[in-house]
This record gives sequence, C-alpha cells and structure tokens, in this order.
Amino acid sequence: MSVPISQMWTVATYVLKQKIKGRKQYPLVLMLEPLFRCNLACAGCGKIQYPAHVLKSQLTPEECFRAVDECGAPTVSIPGGEPLLHPQIGEIVEGLVARKKYIYLCTNALLLKEKIHLFKPSKYLTFSVHMDGQREHHDFSVCLDGGYDKAIEGIKAALAGGFRVTTNTTLFDGADPRSVRAFFDEMMDLGIEGMMLSPGYSYDKAPDQQRFLGRARTRRLFRAMLSNRDKKWRFNQSALFLEFLMGKRDYACTPWGMPTFNVFGWQKPCYLLQDGYADTFAELLETTAWENYGTESGNPKCANCMVHSGYEASAVNDLFGSVQGMWQEVKARMFGEYEDASALRLLDEPTKPAHAFTPLVQIDAPAGEETRV
Amino acid sequence: MSGREAGHGPSVDPDLLEVAPGTAHEKLEGSVPSLANEDDLRKALEQAFDYRGDVSITRKDGSIIEGYIFDRGIDRNNGTSLAGSFVRVLPKNGSPKIKISYAEIAALAFTGRDMAAGKSWENWVRQYWEKKAAGEKDISLQPEKLD
Repeated sequence: MSVPISQMWTVATYVLKQKIKGRKQYPLVLMLEPLFRCNLACAGCGKIQYPAHVLKSQLTPEECFRAVDECGAPTVSIPGGEPLLHPQIGEIVEGLVARKKYIYLCTNALLLKEKIHLFKPSKYLTFSVHMDGQREHHDFSVCLDGGYDKAIEGIKAALAGGFRVTTNTTLFDGADPRSVRAFFDEMMDLGIEGMMLSPGYSYDKAPDQQRFLGRARTRRLFRAMLSNRDKKWRFNQSALFLEFLMGKRDYACTPWGMPTFNVFGWQKPCYLLQDGYADTFAELLETTAWENYGTESGNPKCANCMVHSGYEASAVNDLFGSVQGMWQEVKARMFGEYEDASALRLLDEPTKPAHAFTPLVQIDAPAGEETRV
Repeated sequence: MSGREAGHGPSVDPDLLEVAPGTAHEKLEGSVPSLANEDDLRKALEQAFDYRGDVSITRKDGSIIEGYIFDRGIDRNNGTSLAGSFVRVLPKNGSPKIKISYAEIAALAFTGRDMAAGKSWENWVRQYWEKKAAGEKDISLQPEKLD
C-alpha cells in the first residue's frame, strides 16, 4: 500500500463529510505556493516566468496558515518555485504538521540534503521529489547536468532520516515509455513510498511551447507505461486517475478540487491556468465561472489537459461517490496489472527523446523514426 | 478570458490531439500600444495581463505605476463599463497590490523584459550540444540573478 491507512482514513472521512453536507464544490488538496523563486530554470516550466520583484516576493508563515485554515483541505501540497529556498520553510511545515495536515513538499531536492535538519520526520510530512525520468532524461528536462545525481542524494538523505519520500514525474512529448518503466524500477529500488505521474500542462507562459502532449498521445504513452505493470511499482495517487490517463475511463474536470494560493491570492480557476485572482477562498468559489473550464467546456486553454490538479479530484470523488467506485479502486490496487499485449507492442515503437536530438548534426530521420507513442 | 467567453468552440476534438498547440507569443517588449478607443484599451490590457514582464501604466492624473499585472476583471457592483473594469498590479517598487480602474488609465507601455523570451527548449538543446562539443562539463541553464 503506497499511502498510509491513517492518511487514507483522513481523506475518506473528509470526502464523506462533504458529501453528507451536500457540498458540491469542496477542496481536496490545497496547492500552497509560498514563492515562485527557483534554483532551476526548466524550459517547460510555466511557474517561474516573472520579473525579479515578483520572484523575490514570498508568503509569510502566517499567510500560509491563514490560507490553509480558510481552505480546510486535508492535504496541502507545497510546490513553487522551490520551497526549500523559502527562509521560513521549516516554520511553515511545522505549523501545518501542528494542524494535522498531510503535506507534500514538492522539491527538486538540490538543497534537500543541506536543509533536511529543518524538518522532523512525521507521518504528516512527505518530500515529493521532482524526478522526470532516468539520469539523462531528467538532467535534460531540468536543464542541469548532474541534477539527477543530486536529487538522488537528497532522496537518500531523506530516507536515511526516516522521512516519507515520493517522486513526482511530469512527462512531455518525446518521453520514452520503456525508459520511464526502467525509471520506475530505479525509484522503487531506492525504497521510496510511491510515485506520482502527470502529463505536462501547456502553460502559456512557459518558454517552451512545442512539447506538450495532446490527449491522444497522453493516453497511448500512459497505456504503454502502465499496462503489464510490475507488481513492485507503487503509485501515490488514485488508481482510477491512472486509469483515466491510460484512457480506460473518462472524467470531467474538477478545477476547484486542488485550489492554489500564492503571493497574488487565490488563483482562478486552478493550479495551472491563471485567469485572475480572488482575495479569499470563499470569493474564489463564488466568483469563478467554473462552467468555462475543463476540456468539456470548449476552452482551448483546457483542451489538452489531463493533469492531476483537475482530474485526480474527479477520480477521488468517483471513488467515494459510490460502492462501485470504491470497489473499482480496491480492485485496481489489488489486482491491477493491466495485461495488454497491444500496449507491449507500443513499447517497441521507436521514440525520439528530445534530448537525443543534436542540432549540430543535421541528419533527417526517416518517417518511421518519428515519435509515435 | 475563457474560451467560451471568447466564442471559441472546440474546433478540434481534444481527444484526438497528438501534440497540444503551444501559445505563440507576440513580441510586446518595448511597445506602446495606441489607446485611441475603448476596444484598443481593453485589447491592450488583456495583452498586458498575459505578458510575462512588467508594464507601466500612466493614470489620467499623470502618476505612473510600474509593475506586474496579475489580475483583471469586472467589479460586480459596477458592471462592464470602463469604470467597472479593473486591473490589479503588484508594483515593482515593493508597494502593496494596487487596483486600477480602466477609466483611470491614460497610457500603457510594455517597459519590462519578457522573462521567457528566447528561452525555448530548442535554444537550450542547441546551447547544450554546442557546449558539449566545446568540451564543457556541468552544463546547465541557471536562473537569472534577482539583484
């Protein structure tokens, strides 16, 4: 089991309480961005393209606590920017642990070994380390030679310190499913608790606008990666959401499921899309025209999105919405190896990983060498 | 502005998309849009909201605010008139967030640098292989200095 029982119980009882209260829109995970500053400069990231004065702004611990109390979600994810650059990150985490929130501190782990002393191991605290694949792929993705080795060093330090550790992996066009499966093995061999996966979102402010997966290719890639599953792989996310990524089920977006708070306020409508800000969580819920978002809305900015921040909450709602949903989740977790011969064949199709291309040697690839997965 | 508000229907079935079309960014850095009428003003402020850098807003009282536009919207009590439409700015000088009504705005200029311009994946890959060919090690893209 990749998520502790106590955490599952907390989330399950929270969701059931919302359902009993008849709340249609309730948050599941607060995405708390204490700063946008980062010590990486990944070309695919749409979170850090701000002028220096914005990058220097940061939330105070009190602002973080107010947002967490106002939102009420049982889980708080702390992305950024790089949260370990926040000078009071230890204090922020301590305050959230005191509130019994399950925290996922999302970090590239470059500073994890150096800053691990700021934290105490707790069932409430998990370091979710950004790992985009095997060494070469990860280093290219985060635009840093040696990034993989440094992150592994951080993971090992956190595991040795008795902390919960997961990984989070964002996949773009050109990802090689065979390599990603080998990466799953590497992560499991390290002894981490579980892995989280997501296709990259087409941030319109990101420098790189060429490698975002469309929905059709996302489904093929995830089917290739996640079918014929190795029993030792553990995923720290809903099995139903992974089935959604594999194209085995369909969901509408739940943009309010993972609301975002940062230096600008409460982001409308979701973690990925910036369509303005509200000053309070209640104002966010009341004033956002939710019907204008999600793939089903026809909004072109949502067209290719299959990201956890919109769809994992839908899967969790499905899970707790009926006995059937719960049974499907249990079944998928217990027996879900997803044997699929055609998915095995997808693994043999040639791919053209982005990092394999050198513009200094201009050799035209034959048509058959195009990325097909 | 959402797709539906902009009148976009799903021209392509999103489930058939292989690669998501990215956003083409107009070169706005250094430009000063003409604000001859209400449509010009609204279009320019929408571009400023999407811009990845600071802008300078000159108010009709002559004061100038330089900063990052992080929000725009319509005041629920004032409707969609210019007086009821607003932008919110995080000023560059460290002052608190400020709300400016469209009716107060006399001029707009894209004075700050586009923070993502020229940082494409292709540029990174080219840079990487050039440095590799020159025998360099520990190649990386570094975040810009903030001071």
